[in-house]
Amino acid sequence: MSDLAVSPTRTAVPPKVLRRSAAARKARYSTIKMWVGALCTGVVVVPVALARVLPLPDPVHGVLRETSLPPLSPGHLLGTDPNGRDLLSRILHGGQTSLLIGLLAILLSGLIGIVAGAAAGYFGGWVDTVISRLLEAQMSLPLLLMLLLVVALFGPSILVITLVIAIAQWPEPARLTRALVLVEREKPYVAAARVLGLGRLRIIARHIIPNILSQTLVVVLLLLAQAVLLESALSFLGAGVQRPYPTWGGIISDGRELFVTGAWWLVTIPGVAIALLVLGVNLLGDGLRDRVRRAKAVTS
Amino acid sequence: MPRYLLKRLLQTVLTAWFTVTVVFVLLRMAPGDPAVNYAPPNPSSEQLAAVRHEFGLDQPVLGQYLTYLQHLLRGDIGESFQFRQSALQVVLDRLPYTITLAVAAIAVTALLAIPLGVWMARRGNTAGELGANIATIAGQSMPDFWIGFVLLIVFAVNLQWFPPSGFTSMSSIVLPCLTIVILQVALVSRLVRREMVTNLNAPYVTIARSRGVSERRLTWRYAFANSSIPVVTALGTRFAAMLNGVVIVEVVFKWPGVGELVVDALERRDFPLIQATVLVTVVLALLVQLLVDMLYPLMDPRVRLQEARR
Amino acid sequence: MSDKVGMSGATGAGPGRGISRRALLQFAGLVGAGTVVGSALSACAGPQGAGGATGSGGGGKLSIVLNRNLVSLDNKLNQYDAAVTVQRAVRQALTRIGQNLKPELVLAQSFELTAPTTWTVKLRDDIHYSDKSPVTVEDVETALKYYFQVKASFVAAQFPEQPVFAKIDDRTFTLTTSKPLVTLDSLMSNILITPAKANKPEELREGIGTGPFKVASADSGTGTYRLVRNENYWGEKALLDEVNISYQEEEGGRVIAITSGQADVIDTITPESAAALKKNNDIELIQEPGTRLIHLFYNFRKPAGHPLTNPKVREALSYAVDHDSLISSLMNGVVSSAEGVVPKTLAGFVRTGQYAFDPAKAKQMLAAEGVSKLDLTFIWEESEFAGAARVMEALVSMLGDVGVTVKLKEIPKGGEINAWRRGEAGDWDVLGNGYGNQTGLAITNLQGQYGGTAEKEKTRDSYHGFVFPEISGLIDQAGSEPDAAKRDALLKQAQEKIWALSPAMWAWTPDNVLAKRKRVTSLELSPANSYDLSKVRVSG
Repeated sequence: MSDLAVSPTRTAVPPKVLRRSAAARKARYSTIKMWVGALCTGVVVVPVALARVLPLPDPVHGVLRETSLPPLSPGHLLGTDPNGRDLLSRILHGGQTSLLIGLLAILLSGLIGIVAGAAAGYFGGWVDTVISRLLEAQMSLPLLLMLLLVVALFGPSILVITLVIAIAQWPEPARLTRALVLVEREKPYVAAARVLGLGRLRIIARHIIPNILSQTLVVVLLLLAQAVLLESALSFLGAGVQRPYPTWGGIISDGRELFVTGAWWLVTIPGVAIALLVLGVNLLGDGLRDRVRRAKAVTS
Repeated sequence: MPRYLLKRLLQTVLTAWFTVTVVFVLLRMAPGDPAVNYAPPNPSSEQLAAVRHEFGLDQPVLGQYLTYLQHLLRGDIGESFQFRQSALQVVLDRLPYTITLAVAAIAVTALLAIPLGVWMARRGNTAGELGANIATIAGQSMPDFWIGFVLLIVFAVNLQWFPPSGFTSMSSIVLPCLTIVILQVALVSRLVRREMVTNLNAPYVTIARSRGVSERRLTWRYAFANSSIPVVTALGTRFAAMLNGVVIVEVVFKWPGVGELVVDALERRDFPLIQATVLVTVVLALLVQLLVDMLYPLMDPRVRLQEARR
Repeated sequence: MSDKVGMSGATGAGPGRGISRRALLQFAGLVGAGTVVGSALSACAGPQGAGGATGSGGGGKLSIVLNRNLVSLDNKLNQYDAAVTVQRAVRQALTRIGQNLKPELVLAQSFELTAPTTWTVKLRDDIHYSDKSPVTVEDVETALKYYFQVKASFVAAQFPEQPVFAKIDDRTFTLTTSKPLVTLDSLMSNILITPAKANKPEELREGIGTGPFKVASADSGTGTYRLVRNENYWGEKALLDEVNISYQEEEGGRVIAITSGQADVIDTITPESAAALKKNNDIELIQEPGTRLIHLFYNFRKPAGHPLTNPKVREALSYAVDHDSLISSLMNGVVSSAEGVVPKTLAGFVRTGQYAFDPAKAKQMLAAEGVSKLDLTFIWEESEFAGAARVMEALVSMLGDVGVTVKLKEIPKGGEINAWRRGEAGDWDVLGNGYGNQTGLAITNLQGQYGGTAEKEKTRDSYHGFVFPEISGLIDQAGSEPDAAKRDALLKQAQEKIWALSPAMWAWTPDNVLAKRKRVTSLELSPANSYDLSKVRVSG
């Protein structure tokens, strides 16, 4: 337990009691959460990352004779779909697309969110008004409907779906960054930098953002979970990536009419993969958040 | 107060106008042709032109928009392409279903999430709390349509406890409601816990405790009373969002609400119906938000509405 | 009408000027309670819906779940197979398409071709509406007029021209066309008769008809209808007391509805569901050869010199399609591979050949024509036919095996497909398209798909550029040939010529599959995918 936040040195309290203290338990629990989270994430992400290396059947070309095999069939661990394509292979290859979309989307939404939030928080005035209004307006829009419309408008490609998810997600990091920057800009070091004659952009980029980045990044990481869920929801409503390349949402969406007819594995297993990954990322993010907060509390 | 209300109502109208305009433009830009959906199969260009003319789609988009606004000011939202009757009427026929589902879901959520959140706050840093914590995270980690499918198969098909789809009796509401509640309880209980932890650790609670106030009273009359604004805000926001259509759940369970209606209308490019649905639900959601904001002074006399919050 | 609900809500929420907190709280509580109670009440008062499955005694109740919203009980604007079943239960036409896809008389006592361009119709003398008012020839005249008055009428589009109506006496009238219209008795089966005074040039939601059922309640918004037996029916009275109709577009939802007993009958089910339902002991499947043709049609607008303009190449590609595997693996055996250019159920169909699977021959023929590295784009509208995406994805592999690269483009619903089909949205090579038939006649399909002319192609109204004057000439000739034998000979010639051009990579006809719970003891499905509700019987 080297990562205990409370230093056990120089105290009259015996270590045994100390370990049972609320703070120590809290630290331990956040560690448990992170480990469980990392485990869940790893179980999904590692095979997905290795999809091209693993000895798997082709995810796109199937053997029609091997149609709709249930899981644990010889040669097909998770069974096949009606086209005779190996479900494991499809989930792993599909995971690459889904994760790529998710990662690109949070990269983009994180970037937009942090820049817009920092600008709103630091400059205030009309910049803040415009950005805040935009945030509010987006809140009141029927989001899913808008996303469907935009996907219909530009066609369902990886790029469009990534952009759509990023647009849906930028408010959260933006709001958080804005709130944090509002606090940060009143701190002495910012005033000092200003007195030293540093440009405003430089102050934001070099001094303020590094100070708030850890907290913001945790939120952005948590958005990855949302992005994966959103991609699957869009696919479910028919706005998925072009065939025949699989994505998680697409596999579920294709399987849903077969779900009721007995081919349960086509929906259940990719659903478990999504849930496992999202749970992992959420736990990881939650544990990290606890830790970042504690670190802040200790330093300030 | 009246000035504040007036300002908020004006904002509501502006937001509604903005939303409807965005939807109007997106719909006209999106590929696809409403006429094809309402002409005979394998239509000729003449037939398509006739349908377009009938729906006024042969006009320039700006003209269509101005006509639409003009009619809107007169209270005429337009006629649904698909149902050939007032789009407003179609939406209002469906709205009670969505409201019923949203009310039921939010009520069950509040009943479960508040005690759970309070419990988690009181039991902070115990193994039980860790378990509840992970369980709530798991609750918000599953795709909602997937939860819906699983519930559908288990409880409607295999056990046959509840009707699978549509609205046939009040028991139809159980599964869609449950699907929503699983996610919402996870989100709201975590919020309750966060607020309660903050308040339970606040100096005023420590002082009250030292004066011998009972733990029960401390929890509910002190800490929870002070956590109620963010909690009510969260519940209100979620309720408002549900009015915009619990789209996915409605689609999975074929619940005849506005969410299901709008997805269907989108596939058929029923422009007036989509616009009407968006308008009605956005205005309704904004009004719910307004109502929630107006409750603040009741819950906490320190809040006065004249000042802008934030 | 009722307008501005949002607005009136807004003013309702803002009555306050200096109101006390208590008053506001009370008001908010009231609004809240009102919303809950109001919505719960209206929800309860909503469609009582498809609860018929548990009904028993007497004639019993039947609960049907359609695959599309039955927007009205009229067919002026739209019509799909299952709707016919319900619409005909309330409103009838002069004729109907019978079990063998030949026209049968209903309200007409006789319907005869009395001159090359004139049909003489006599109404039955015993027919009347559900309120006992008589059916007049004026009702027929008005109905016919209104079907042609509504814009883009589904039904009117099937008539080459509007027949001219002339009254002879109280029960007799003639229908005259400028060119001979030998299929008028079939076509008139889609013109539903309503009292002239109650008819309008739009779809009728309510009102009365001559059918064996009458409407007890109708909600077009949620697509739920309740029909009850017409005790005044002029013919043999219906066996059922009551029919409840609702809809569910999601196939899975309908399967759940019938397995859970919520529905008694679901129709037009997909092969996957059929396979699953076969295993259920409470459910029986009825399977009939259908009339809908689905084909992988080549783009005939390719520039000269493109490999697809060569009939040999088109034929070669068809050898790459392993249709037996497709049928058994992806369609569960409930479709049949086409043996001609129209479904074999249609009157006037001629067997012209069969699709064969022979990848070696495909490769060899492609090589012989000097075609290599062929790159094709397949398009189809989402859910155009059952399992469309799966079939298309399987074709990628099959064509890959003969060295052809296939790119798939699934066009989302919403009507975008039309621009693609007209060649305005982008280039493509093969289209997966379904073609329905409401008349039971091969000539309807032939005219629609292969009757393209240069003039039609100017407005892109030919069937994907299929313009062969020789063929359209034959079809035209057949359309105005009063002699049945000569007509059939002309149609045979046309179909053989079309087949020789290999217009489709593969074509098939799905069976009409209907699933019913065992308590439905008699139900007769026609090839037109509809059934006579008045003859349906249920037990228990």
